[in-house]
Amino acid sequence: MHANSASHSALTRPPSPGGGTENGYENMPVTKVPDWYGMIAWDALLNGMATGLFMAAAVSELAAPAVFRPVAKVAYPVALVLLLIDLTMLVFDLGDPFRFHHMLRVFKPGSPMSVGTWCLTIFSLPLTAAAALSLLAEFGVDFEWARILAVVLGLLPAFGSAAYKGVLLSTNAQPGWKDARWLGGYLTNSAILIGCAELLVVSALMGQTQAIAILRIAFIVLLVLNLIPLGLLFANLQPAHARLYTRAQQWSAGVLIFAAVTLIPLGLTLLNGGLLFVLGAVLFLLLGSWIVRFVYIKIPHTSPLEIRGG
Amino acid sequence: MASREKELSALTQTSDPARGQLSQLVGRLIYPFLHGEPPKPHTPTGFYTDTTVCIGCKACEVACKQWNQLPSDGFEWTGNSYDNTTELSASTWRHVKFIEQFSGTLSSGGPSINGAPNDPVLNRWLMMSDHCKHCLAAPCHQACPTGAIIHNEFQNVYIQADICNGCSCCVASCPFGVITRSDMGGHSHKCTLCYDRQRDGLEPACAKACPTQSIHFGPVEELREMARKRVEELHRRGVPEAYLYGDAPSETYSEMHSFYLLVDRPSVYGLPDTPFNPWLHMLGDYSRSIAGGLAAIAALLIVVFLLRP
Repeated sequence: MHANSASHSALTRPPSPGGGTENGYENMPVTKVPDWYGMIAWDALLNGMATGLFMAAAVSELAAPAVFRPVAKVAYPVALVLLLIDLTMLVFDLGDPFRFHHMLRVFKPGSPMSVGTWCLTIFSLPLTAAAALSLLAEFGVDFEWARILAVVLGLLPAFGSAAYKGVLLSTNAQPGWKDARWLGGYLTNSAILIGCAELLVVSALMGQTQAIAILRIAFIVLLVLNLIPLGLLFANLQPAHARLYTRAQQWSAGVLIFAAVTLIPLGLTLLNGGLLFVLGAVLFLLLGSWIVRFVYIKIPHTSPLEIRGG
Repeated sequence: MASREKELSALTQTSDPARGQLSQLVGRLIYPFLHGEPPKPHTPTGFYTDTTVCIGCKACEVACKQWNQLPSDGFEWTGNSYDNTTELSASTWRHVKFIEQFSGTLSSGGPSINGAPNDPVLNRWLMMSDHCKHCLAAPCHQACPTGAIIHNEFQNVYIQADICNGCSCCVASCPFGVITRSDMGGHSHKCTLCYDRQRDGLEPACAKACPTQSIHFGPVEELREMARKRVEELHRRGVPEAYLYGDAPSETYSEMHSFYLLVDRPSVYGLPDTPFNPWLHMLGDYSRSIAGGLAAIAALLIVVFLLRP
């Protein structure tokens, strides 16, 4: 793409804004909104839950196998179930679900959806292997080296599967979405945070005290760290939200999200490391994370007048 | 297209040998992976739409519907001038827009397009036949994960209806709101620039039907030359506001193979004033996405290493 040449500038320069009247199609939306509704918000959350749980379990297990191996062996099958639900949603969100395999006829690095599809497909293979080998180990069939190999091989595609989603939802022409430069940063960071939270719940359910002690601190650190991309994302979306919502509505939603995503989980985790407190913290985190994704998905679907009028 | 697609798929293909259900299923699975030989490239073709001579007759809309066998969208009075088509969609690939600019008072502005001096400038009709812009670097083409959207041998943006699976990435990425997913088949559709007619050496149906030669079809370079001469002529005749939209690349968008001669701001015609290719942000967005994830993994690793027994 190049700047217009000077010789053509007179031919391609539109009249100044004062020269025309504000009429015609001036105030009508130019872009078409895709049929991406609530299912995509759930998909974005499940994607983070599946990839995040795998990555948190894999990183923890590889760094401290003695502490995290029993927990990780439960985490991988759970991550596989979450991924399968997510993939089912992705397929049924297509206009023609029976053509889902057409996604794999080409690989286009320039298309975030193509990158995401390939990452998810590749990720599903080592995840299935790790989950199956973890379950087999429970029945005495132990291929530990193969399980660790699957875990290591799954790390990169898992990261790619988490990282593409934000780019897919920000690299487009939709009002609001096209300005969300930090959506990808937030979603990937949030995936690890959610994964750590899920691993903490698994540890608490299994009564793994050493794992709980470590993951509780990690969860608190990640909660605070997640505020940075979340704040940057909010700053990106502020102009779009200002057009859609009143100041009072923006503050209410902001306080609700901040409380659910950070404040309440942080308070509960600091207060007590018991199972009930951990469960409460994680449920609030998931609720807040879903609200963030839902509010985001809704932006181009929302008519300013509808919202302002309540 | 959507209805024809449905009708055709229901017909028995007598030329095909009888196949069992398993064979059909295997065929359906394998078929999209069979890539044919791409045709040899031709001279790039496109549209140049001179909106100053459009009379809003909608012959182009009718010709497009008729040739491509597109279903009716029903009829509704919109109250927006004579525009009851409302928008481009999966079953409407041409849309004539009507803009009434009547200030109510006669201004002593410059002469009008037909050259008569002292005609009021703001008491006028603007009409424009809108359609796919067939962008050189088309965001829909870049977004499509199935490879269904291609640049064909005429450098026109073309959706292969038998490949599209209705993921809607193209809908989200088009800055002009051209592509829509059909409710009937669940696939995306838009103007093909009458690919079938072009292959037979014919001009697109809309251009053929246009009675005022507002829609010009031909090799893009020739169209650009013709359009620039027309703008210069209009400037000479006292219409300084005439300009071309989309004939040349800007800092944020590629050139379009379907471009327009306009006399008011693009937004008045329902076009983005400064079209932006979303892909200009992609690398930065990936970088932030990766950085966000790596920061979290690093934090987790540090805590695990520091606290492990």
